[in-house]
Amino acid sequence: MSTTEERAAEQKRYAAGKSVLDTVDERFGSSRFLTSVLDKIFPDHWSFMVGEIAMDSLIILIITGIYLALFYVPSSTDVIYAPTSGHVYAPLVGQHMTEAYQSVINLSFNVRAGLIMRQAHHWAALVFLAAVLFHLCRVFFTGAFRKPREVNWIIGVTLWLVVILEGFTGYSLPDDLLSGTGLRVIYSIVEGLPLVGTWIVYDFWGGSYPGTTFLTRLFVIHEFIFPLLIVGLLTAHLMILWHQKHSDFPGPGKTETNIRGSRVWPQYALKAGGLFMIVTGTIFLLAGEIQINPVWLYGPYNPYTVSIGAQPDWYLGWLDGSVRLWPHWEFASFGHEIPNPVFPGILIPGLLFTTIYAWPWLDKKIYSDYGAHNLLDRPRDKPFRTGVGVAAIVFFADLTIACGSDILANDFHVGFERVIEVLQYGALLGPVVGFVIAYKACQALQRTGAHPIQRPLGGVIIRSANGAYHTLSDHHGNGHGDNGHGDNGHGDKADAVANGHGTAEEAPAPVGAADEPAGASD
Amino acid sequence: MTAAARSRRLLAGPLGLVALAVVVGSVFFVTGTQAHGQSNVVSTNPSDILAGQQLFQEHCQACHGYEGEGGQTSAPPLVSVGAAAADFYLTTGRMPLNNPGNEAARHHPFFDATQISQLVAYVNALPTITGTNQTGPTIPTVAPLCPTATPDPSDPGCVTLSEGLQAFSLNCAACHQAAGSGGILSKGNVVPSLHNSNMTQVGEAIRVGPKPMPVFAPSQMSDQQMSAIAQYVQYLHHPADPGGLGISHFGPVAEGFVAVLFGFGILLFAARMIGTRG
Repeated sequence: MSTTEERAAEQKRYAAGKSVLDTVDERFGSSRFLTSVLDKIFPDHWSFMVGEIAMDSLIILIITGIYLALFYVPSSTDVIYAPTSGHVYAPLVGQHMTEAYQSVINLSFNVRAGLIMRQAHHWAALVFLAAVLFHLCRVFFTGAFRKPREVNWIIGVTLWLVVILEGFTGYSLPDDLLSGTGLRVIYSIVEGLPLVGTWIVYDFWGGSYPGTTFLTRLFVIHEFIFPLLIVGLLTAHLMILWHQKHSDFPGPGKTETNIRGSRVWPQYALKAGGLFMIVTGTIFLLAGEIQINPVWLYGPYNPYTVSIGAQPDWYLGWLDGSVRLWPHWEFASFGHEIPNPVFPGILIPGLLFTTIYAWPWLDKKIYSDYGAHNLLDRPRDKPFRTGVGVAAIVFFADLTIACGSDILANDFHVGFERVIEVLQYGALLGPVVGFVIAYKACQALQRTGAHPIQRPLGGVIIRSANGAYHTLSDHHGNGHGDNGHGDNGHGDKADAVANGHGTAEEAPAPVGAADEPAGASD
Repeated sequence: MTAAARSRRLLAGPLGLVALAVVVGSVFFVTGTQAHGQSNVVSTNPSDILAGQQLFQEHCQACHGYEGEGGQTSAPPLVSVGAAAADFYLTTGRMPLNNPGNEAARHHPFFDATQISQLVAYVNALPTITGTNQTGPTIPTVAPLCPTATPDPSDPGCVTLSEGLQAFSLNCAACHQAAGSGGILSKGNVVPSLHNSNMTQVGEAIRVGPKPMPVFAPSQMSDQQMSAIAQYVQYLHHPADPGGLGISHFGPVAEGFVAVLFGFGILLFAARMIGTRG
């Protein structure tokens, strides 16, 4: 029910909006760019969103981290805790501590929203690494690292490494009992490196442990170097993804040269925005309801104190576990003892990461497949690769469990030595068992049936009174073809493609296609 | 009913609870045991010693021997262990054992308070009865907490939590964990959580050194430090605990479980709900 005035007003508003957009477009020519961005197609499979969980956690980490940096004092200066205002934590009054630890205590007790920000920062870091690892596994098991995506695999694994180090530096900043103990372990492992170890730690710490300069340096590393590295690598990761287009699982209507899914605007933007809100909500739910790292209970770090149950955060547990499980063998070369922790602390991670970095090229050799692939493998179709992946997961899990061996022994009332022994055998035999089971399971799955999405469409066809045809399998209930955006590329995709309304975007041809293909077909 | 009345009625329950908690909490705060410290007097009354002897003969001497000279099993002699050891093992339920081979672990006390005091009186009197001139530590007295966070110069008899935290992290945290949650030593010796120990028991354990814990004699650890640790362990039962659920203060292992299984689990489920399988 619109009157003449209302219609006139609407036209006026439209004209005003158009003139603003025209002004921008005339100067920056951005409408073409925007159109291509907003029409970009992303596939809809749920596992492709886990990388986004990682990215969302990173955003939360940056925002909460900025807040924390406003109040944290990166100084090893010795102070005596004697607050004159605000909340006083009585069990620390009169104690010597570094200014850094004091600032964390004040941040937790006296800064508005300080504690929830610190807890959100820490929980987000733990969730971040879970998402990174899940994403890495997804890429591995589906063969998404194959040509042309090897470089993104390298960048991704580097990101994982940098994020682990970033997490560890953050864990070390509060300078509480756990922080100091963790740094002491790392100091000793690095110091054990033949020839260069003592030089490296002396350079980093500016002297012997614990020194007075290291916290300041650690803060610079945690605050500037690693975050810049992470953001830079992530930008490259996403730009390459954008350029190469997303890979997708095989399915009806999907080929090596097209992508089916949702446009960035509006569907994918809404999904991704919703997921970001869920990630934020979940992390702040944890931050508000579950305590993490109560530094006031651990007390300030003194090199002569230690607590049992001093573990790294979970994502570094495998390294701690590796050191715990390694037998007490002693090696000497050229008359010099090589310290024991070097082998489990540097050699084993070195070998593991070299293998992970080299996997795209190993994979080419194993399968004699040097071609480019935009369609993913189903894990069951590559039993050997899946077996290797499961073996690696079992190995990592075994080492991670070993990191909590003291707590396991305590909780299950099993002797500590027995737990270590079982996990030592587990580290050797578990991967083999995992490989065999995964290999057999893949073969069995190959025999027993197809993925649900490959079931033939239709079955019952219904003709309506006005002559239209419907199949009963069309459970999405979308309108057919009256609007191209409605197509979500699933149950009704055959129909939609037939009508020329499918949202299909051309991906680069497997070999050497360089030109950016046109956008969506409507 | 008006809106105001309804909201009054809705809020009455929770507000009442909060008020009750505040009242009970402040009463507890004022009269809590920490303010007073703890001291137990060992009875030297002959009737108590006699009653203790009867209990000893019924429940203890099969292993520990007549008049506590030690048994043929691994049971140690008790002649000169002192009152602190007897009180510690009995009040924490570590003794008597169901089976001589069992590990002496914390349990509900088998005897009631009166019986324990009688047995302690008897063990305390054993050096006199047997004519030995050696005797073990007596039940320690735990000094009260100072009313302020810093030591009060006018009241040298009190201790602070700050002293307690320092002495605890230096001497105890390496095995009992920084928050007293317990840990494990090798050879299957369990290091118990300290969340059930009262102040006297902590002081006794320090002086007695129940196996495999070392003895911290007064020459190594002053009475002041011992009292401070006992007070701090008492504090650790209910520490200032902002930030939400404490998940046992176990540290990164428990936190990792929560983050991966609960936090990331929710997000994985959300991703599955948002995305499709195709």
